Amino acid sequence: MSAEMANEIKLISGRSHPELSEKIAKRLGIEVARTVSLNYSNQETSFTVGESVRDEDVFIVQSTATGDVNEGLMELLIMISACRTASARRITAVIPNFPYARQDKKDKSRAPISARLVANMLQTAGANHIVTVDLHASQILGFFSVPVDNLYAEPSFLRYIRENFNTEDCVIVSPDAGGAKRATSIADHLNTAFALIHKERPRPNVVGRMVLVGNVEDKIAILVDDMADTCGTLVKAAAVLKENGAKSVLALVTHGILSGNAIETLNSSVLSALVVTNTVPLGDKVQRCPKLRVIDLSPTIAEAIRRTHNGESVSYLFTHAPV
Amino acid sequence: MRGTLIFAGSSCPDLTDKICHNLGMARADAELTQFSNGETSVRILTSVREKDVFVVQSGSPKINDTIMELLIMISACKGGSANKITAVLPYFPYSRQSKKKPHRGAITARMLANLLDVAGVKHVVTVDLHASQMQGFFKCPVDNLHAEPLIARWIRRNVPRWQEAVVVSKNAGGTKRVTSLADALKLNFGMVTTDKKRGPSMASMAASMMGYPMDGIERQPVLDTAGNQVRNNSSEPESETPAAESGRSQDSRMAADAQGSPRMRANGTHSRNAANRNSPPRRSQTMLSQSSVIDELDEEHEADGLEYNDQRAHEVTHGRLVQGHIVPDDFQSPATSVADTSVPEEDPMAMSHASSFFAPQPHALGGSGDGGASSDEEDDILKDPKVEHTITLVGNVRDRTVFIVDDMIDKPGSWIAAAETVVKRGRANKVYCIATHGVFGGDCLEQMQACDCIDTIVVTNSYPIPEDRARNASKLVVLDLSFLLAEAIRRNHYGESMSPLFQHLMD
Repeated sequence: MSAEMANEIKLISGRSHPELSEKIAKRLGIEVARTVSLNYSNQETSFTVGESVRDEDVFIVQSTATGDVNEGLMELLIMISACRTASARRITAVIPNFPYARQDKKDKSRAPISARLVANMLQTAGANHIVTVDLHASQILGFFSVPVDNLYAEPSFLRYIRENFNTEDCVIVSPDAGGAKRATSIADHLNTAFALIHKERPRPNVVGRMVLVGNVEDKIAILVDDMADTCGTLVKAAAVLKENGAKSVLALVTHGILSGNAIETLNSSVLSALVVTNTVPLGDKVQRCPKLRVIDLSPTIAEAIRRTHNGESVSYLFTHAPV
Repeated sequence: MRGTLIFAGSSCPDLTDKICHNLGMARADAELTQFSNGETSVRILTSVREKDVFVVQSGSPKINDTIMELLIMISACKGGSANKITAVLPYFPYSRQSKKKPHRGAITARMLANLLDVAGVKHVVTVDLHASQMQGFFKCPVDNLHAEPLIARWIRRNVPRWQEAVVVSKNAGGTKRVTSLADALKLNFGMVTTDKKRGPSMASMAASMMGYPMDGIERQPVLDTAGNQVRNNSSEPESETPAAESGRSQDSRMAADAQGSPRMRANGTHSRNAANRNSPPRRSQTMLSQSSVIDELDEEHEADGLEYNDQRAHEVTHGRLVQGHIVPDDFQSPATSVADTSVPEEDPMAMSHASSFFAPQPHALGGSGDGGASSDEEDDILKDPKVEHTITLVGNVRDRTVFIVDDMIDKPGSWIAAAETVVKRGRANKVYCIATHGVFGGDCLEQMQACDCIDTIVVTNSYPIPEDRARNASKLVVLDLSFLLAEAIRRNHYGESMSPLFQHLMD
């Protein structure tokens, strides 16, 4: 056996989303590496790896839990740094839900481009490779000088729609102009109709007036977006779709951040279901919201890890969801 | 100051306002909020183009949020075409994680230095870094200011009879900080160390190691302050007899011959019955042979009868520490016989073995015990109810005021243990706990307030202390750093020398 073969996958899990890491590890047929992560009494994060990572191919899985984004990010940076000082051969940060992805442009004077800052920070800490899912803007890829694999939840969504609905009854709706590309892509794959809601957004997390472009009458309207935060947009869009004669409305969203009063907003909305992936830890939200459905994305992430490790192409995963 | 903007992070608006007040300017406007998902949002509300920007940020209970906010503020100013961005960090976060731990830990302080660099910092101003070597982590210049002149001035103005006080280090690692303050005030100093108590079968071995802290760690500092020691003792009226005088000078010579062993010098200076004794070298040998466990346990009783042993006890005092508190010598040890098996010796080979990892020794995570080490790990061990410790006080504090000094107060355990040791075993009459950074994790401040052996807690405002907590702590004294920081900012802006800020002001 050559020295090259001895190099193995070491899967390290942050504290933000251990369930996802477990699922990925199970999928890969390995164990999550033993680590100790704790906070000192002054809340500084401390991290140590419990087994050797010397010359290993390290994958660090860390999502960012709603409300604890900075905590998760700092922990991730410290984990990367620890593996770097422990002589890992390559460190891949698997960040299903990239933090600060929405602060990606200087939209106002002196606004920080925090997404670029995070990109620089990850590289400074010592990440050699990034794996993420459905980046808010694919331009963020350009903030990195290391390779980034941006996986898509779309194949999983396509399968979900095909398995649960008659595609001829569906119409795919984008809740805003920015997401039109994402929605048309799904509509094209399913060969269904497409509609768009135009909205005026006076401030972040506040929704203005909405106008529907397209026909949803007597159809199952499927809203598609990359993230659901306070859910204000989705719920208002759903109401607009209902007013325009949709039979039922559901939403397919990659990142279920669901902050603030999102659960209450959802429960009292006309949405029949909100389908999210498990990129973000959901905690007890599934119990609190009967409308919430979760698609497991760990097969896709695990396969991406396996292919990255073995030096195989990842392109297949952009169009196919592993079972 | 023209062309200067000072921004405050959310952790320390008060300190920043004081700095701005000192400089006669207003704090620059920035809106610091969080998005509903917990991401930090920063809006810089004034133009920073071609300005000299200072961002002041300390620590807070949400330390990682504080750091992200600082980085984003710096990044925003850089994106807004600021000329130069200086991070003013009175308390440098993660400064205790400044070295690699045995188990593949991160050198987080270095990473943070790199992160600041990546965000766009061109200069860093900080106060009393946990380890000054950390300045080497930065690519940009670092000004590590010292709060010591401020603390020394406070002592000179506020402590009655401070000239007779003793500065005490509560762990071996902090000795350097302590000697520095002792030198500045021309005071004596002492040290408290904590050892894991060996089981009864090991007691004799522990006793034979009693000289260790003096021979190894203490030798150099004792030499430095030996002059003071002699001078102080000669002012004691009872030793002003001709016999003692001659005995002392004789001893001092011998001490020098024996490579400045502090034990000998100690005997020499406490020479009330020096005339009745044989030659000094033999005396020191006698003392060594008496370092048995019986001697240690009966110390209290012998103190009344035998003056000689009493003298020795002044210099090296032992105490028993159970669950972080000093206990009487006849206290039943909670786990005398199992102490050895439940707490294995720290064998470097065993420590590096992965199998032992899931029952990690606390210090394996908190850093090692070398020069700049924190006492956090020490604290964790102190709280273990199963383990008894021997706490050793080196130096004479009887009827003196004691300043226990370290760079930060985070956990109370080691402070309370040291305070109890100097009061209950060393018979000190007043205890001041002095540190630059009052981090006060958990209920530290409340515990120290409740401790009878601590009279005053002195910290600076480098780390914000919530007002309601401070109000309930009557022992707490907070010194203001804003003048020092303001002066550092002013000198930085005008390109003046920083050196005067490190000097002690004699007043």
